[in-house]
Amino acid sequence: MTSVLLPLCERNPEPMALFSVSQTAFLLAFLSLRTYQSEGLSEPLPWAPESLKVSVNTTCQCLHLQWTVHNLAHHQEFRMVFQIEISRIKTSNVIWVENYTTTVKWNQVLHWSWESKLPLECAKHFIRMRSAVDAAKTPGPRVWSSWSSWEEADVQNSLGQDPLFIFPKDKLVEEGSNVTICYVSKSHQNNISCYLEGVRMQGEQLDPNVSVFNLNHVAFIRETGTNIYCKPGQGDGIKGTVLFVSKVLQEPKDFSCETQDFMTLNCTWDPGSDTGLLKQLSQSYTLFESFSGKKTLCKPKSWCLWQVAPESQDMYNFTLTAENYLRKRSVHLLFNLTHRVHPMAPFNILFKNVSATSATMTWKVHSIGKYYTLLCQVELYGEGKVTQHNVSVKVDGAHLFSGLEPDTEYLAQVRCANGDYFWKWSEWTHQNFTTAEAAPSEAPDVWRNVKTVQGRCVVTLFWKPLSKPQAHGKILFYNIVIEYLDRTSVSEVLSIPAPASGTELPLNQCSSQIRITASNSVGTSPASVLVVSREPGNEEVEEERVKGTEDGFPLSWNPQPRHVTGYLVEWCEQPRDPPCDLQWKNLGPNVTSTVVSSDAFRPGVRYNFRIYGISTERVPYLLARKTGYSQELAPSDNPQVVMTNLTSHSFTLSWKNYSTESQTSFIQGYHVYLKSKAGRCHSGSEKAVLSDDVVCCKYKIDNPEQKTFVVENLQPESFYEFLVTPYTSVGEGPHDAFAKVTTPDEYSPTLIRILLPTVFCILLIMITCYLKSQWMKEKCYPDIPDPYKSSVLSLIKSKENPHLTIMNIKDCVPDSIEVLNKQEGTRKSLTETESTKPTYLYLLPTEKRYSSPGPCICFENFTYNQAASDSASCGHVPVPPKAPPSQLGLLTSPENLLKALEKNYMNSLGEIPAGETSLNYVSQLASPMSGDMSNLPTNPPEPALCSEYKMQMAIPLGLASPPSSGSSSLSSITLLDEGEHYH
Amino acid sequence: MRAQLMWRTLPSLVLGLLFLSTPVMGSCLDKDQELLRQLQKQADIMQRTSMLLNPYIQSQGLDKDGLKEHCRERPGTFPSKEALQRLSRQELLRALNTMLDHVLHRLMALQQDIPKAQDLETVNRAKQNIRGFKNNIHCMAQLLPGSSERTEPPPIGPGTSPSPTPTPDTFQRRLEGCRFLHGYHRFMHSVGQVFREWAESPSRSRRHSPRRGLWKGARRVPLSRGNKRLLLRGQLPR
Repeated sequence: MTSVLLPLCERNPEPMALFSVSQTAFLLAFLSLRTYQSEGLSEPLPWAPESLKVSVNTTCQCLHLQWTVHNLAHHQEFRMVFQIEISRIKTSNVIWVENYTTTVKWNQVLHWSWESKLPLECAKHFIRMRSAVDAAKTPGPRVWSSWSSWEEADVQNSLGQDPLFIFPKDKLVEEGSNVTICYVSKSHQNNISCYLEGVRMQGEQLDPNVSVFNLNHVAFIRETGTNIYCKPGQGDGIKGTVLFVSKVLQEPKDFSCETQDFMTLNCTWDPGSDTGLLKQLSQSYTLFESFSGKKTLCKPKSWCLWQVAPESQDMYNFTLTAENYLRKRSVHLLFNLTHRVHPMAPFNILFKNVSATSATMTWKVHSIGKYYTLLCQVELYGEGKVTQHNVSVKVDGAHLFSGLEPDTEYLAQVRCANGDYFWKWSEWTHQNFTTAEAAPSEAPDVWRNVKTVQGRCVVTLFWKPLSKPQAHGKILFYNIVIEYLDRTSVSEVLSIPAPASGTELPLNQCSSQIRITASNSVGTSPASVLVVSREPGNEEVEEERVKGTEDGFPLSWNPQPRHVTGYLVEWCEQPRDPPCDLQWKNLGPNVTSTVVSSDAFRPGVRYNFRIYGISTERVPYLLARKTGYSQELAPSDNPQVVMTNLTSHSFTLSWKNYSTESQTSFIQGYHVYLKSKAGRCHSGSEKAVLSDDVVCCKYKIDNPEQKTFVVENLQPESFYEFLVTPYTSVGEGPHDAFAKVTTPDEYSPTLIRILLPTVFCILLIMITCYLKSQWMKEKCYPDIPDPYKSSVLSLIKSKENPHLTIMNIKDCVPDSIEVLNKQEGTRKSLTETESTKPTYLYLLPTEKRYSSPGPCICFENFTYNQAASDSASCGHVPVPPKAPPSQLGLLTSPENLLKALEKNYMNSLGEIPAGETSLNYVSQLASPMSGDMSNLPTNPPEPALCSEYKMQMAIPLGLASPPSSGSSSLSSITLLDEGEHYH
Repeated sequence: MRAQLMWRTLPSLVLGLLFLSTPVMGSCLDKDQELLRQLQKQADIMQRTSMLLNPYIQSQGLDKDGLKEHCRERPGTFPSKEALQRLSRQELLRALNTMLDHVLHRLMALQQDIPKAQDLETVNRAKQNIRGFKNNIHCMAQLLPGSSERTEPPPIGPGTSPSPTPTPDTFQRRLEGCRFLHGYHRFMHSVGQVFREWAESPSRSRRHSPRRGLWKGARRVPLSRGNKRLLLRGQLPR
């Protein structure tokens, strides 16, 4: 709670005499009062407060009290204390007690205000007071008057008929304050909920219709305020209020005042945050100067102008006050005006007498009074340098710049400050100027390359453009004068326009002297002299390796015994490109080492340096050759390897196309890796573990120029992988592309040498056989045995036996019948034919001349029965014993046999379909024994009487006509089942 | 924030271009259909809550649950669509003119509660749009037959005289302003629909002016200085 003291009484300008009289009267009255008090306290104090009136100001939530004190005599004044008690809701609930001390005069109306934290609409308030004479200087207890009666302040009665009210309305507070909100419900609803920016608040009930909400440290949300609203549980009667939370007004920072012209003071400050709200304007700023008593309202928020009284005031004491509805903040500043001079920037800068090396700058300054001197600071920027000078100035300033570079642009700037008391520099004022040109000061740096084209010397001249400090202006052209040393040719003069940096000159004679100069608009530079000699110089100098560093290539050479005018190092900055960008460096005669550096040097590129000595005749001769890398890099590629001479135990690797010169580092040798399943490494190799943990054999070749290698001690018919990679001081090539090879079989070549002729011979024989096959066939196995062609016949003929001839079939008496017995109901395959043995019926068993065992030979021709030929049997199979004897009996006589044959033949004609006919041909020369052919004696049968060859007969079962007479006989007849042809 | 500003500015730019095609305060298009289309487009744009209501709600902190639900038009502030449909064309134009005058007046009052220059600019643009719309209404009235006949503003039920009395405390004033703007956008939506019905059924006008038809005989009538004053006072010229 805070109390606000209002202006309670007006000033009474009474004269001093009257004041002293009043004071005397006051003392007398006071003494009488003390006497009265000492005599007895039963009587009330005569100066008790009366006519107490209480009013309510809801805007500021203030209770305003006014009262009077009676019984004061005219012109009587007392220092009195009024004790004020404030109760809330009921008189016994005292919430505030305050002693208000003031001087009381006759007939004076006293005022006192009190601001309530709780909105006054939320509860009734009761006020009463009593008084006492302020006797602070007098010891003893204070004597109070009696209390006034309670005065009631009740705003709720005047609220109106709305069911719900929220208080306070549109209250303005500072950020961080504590605020109490309340609602008053007239509808006796209990379920009223209240929200702050959508967030429900929890309050406490003051009485059945009133609830209060204490908001602590309220925050600034927006300029339009914080919405607080309450809603009953039913109905649409939303009510609310807006709490305007202002940012806390900050004290102005960096308050400062200065003048540029002694006419006005410019005061500036940092205002901090704006406290403007919908209900509150932004803070205002007021500037008050105590010496002059002047005051001005500053409209801008961060600066203010103050008019300086001319020559009347040096000291100023300013008070800057920031003020808004809630707060005031002030800062003070005391200063001497002459100490706060901030001159305006100089102006009208001019340059006079600008030559190649000097210029004069002049400028003007704004006057700050005839008694003041300005200190000006002049700065000159040019060629990357800054020079600074201080100049004292009254009105106009001037400064001479000397030692300037010709044809150079400079920036000059000047600023000034009060020379008597430094406060601040003015702003810079700057201006550019350019010095005049001068003749080039240095001879161009020239080098040459001499070559012979068709017997004629051709010199290519290179020169570096003169630097700006050397050129002293724009180089327009280069003059070249060629003087032939033998004086047989006339000198030549050439002019090459800039910005050329070289030219090619075919010389009439090699021995010549070339003078090169550069010219600008003012003059010509000194000449560079080169002497070209026919002698090529010492080209057989051995090349040395040099190791590059971060700073470049350190090169050194031996000092020359003969007198030299200097040394020169040349190199190509782009050695891999055809125009190699020739560079050179001139060195003094006493120098024997240098470091060649260039931004163009790249890692992994080999640079070659040639060091020349320049003789006194200006003839260069080669002293040393150096080669090296600024940084060696591991090889990125492996050689392209060719494999040759592959044998079962070795192969040869070759990489002759691999250039060691153009690699990213010096090649020290090669590693040959060999992977094999065996994993065994022979002598000359060592085991190596690759990055993928693969173990292989490594052969090392120390000579970088050895580009072949024979891998030996291999296993035949084995799979190998190999890789050739160069190794350098920084590593070796990648291990990524192993080539594969499989060694051949050890005997394969021998076998090939044997097999090829063999196969050839076989083929030859086969071809011969094929060509002579007819002959062979006829000789060895004719298609149809022709008895007349038979060798037997020839044999017979050779024996010249005229009685021997071929027997006609008619003359042949069958002696046996071959019967094929096949069980019905069972069919057997050809492989089972052995079990089905034909039965031979010996038709003439009783004849003596064929008595068994006779020398009979049985021939069977399989030509007509291919199927039968597979049986590999002559067909004479012993008759199985189970053959029915009756059947045999029927065939024992020739008639029966013929009948049977005829019958069987006829049946065959009727039952065997065309196309399925087959032949069963049984020939018989002799039957040495009855039974299986397998039982034939291995020895050839002896020719016997019965061993005559009997004509073989083919019996086409379907087509052959039956024998014309019953006397026709067959050597053997085979009986077949229908459709079956088995032997 | 910048995008939001752009969305606020864009419709205004479109409206500005629409107005540019209409001679402002002095001459009117005599192509009735084109004028009607312009009015429709203007109404379509002015009905958008992004033109006024949304920025207002945001600046006043009314975009909170439990609070924005109360930002609804109070019945009777603006005439309903049905009330507008019942009016003849001349009556409707007069009623529109009157209502928009009221809206302009209310917007000026609302500006008192808007501290930010950016939000003030939004209100100013809306006011310009309303003035342009009023100008087109005037031109349309000129094209209607019988426009020279002086008629009193028609009784269009509630909303003919919205209460301009401001509520005493800021919160209630804020809420009322929000409700008013909500009603304004709804009203412009209804106006746009009625204009669309005009375009779809031109026969309705013949009921009121059988001799001249809706647009026949309409001529461009330049506004005299007196007419301009009348227009500014919210009355259509006789």
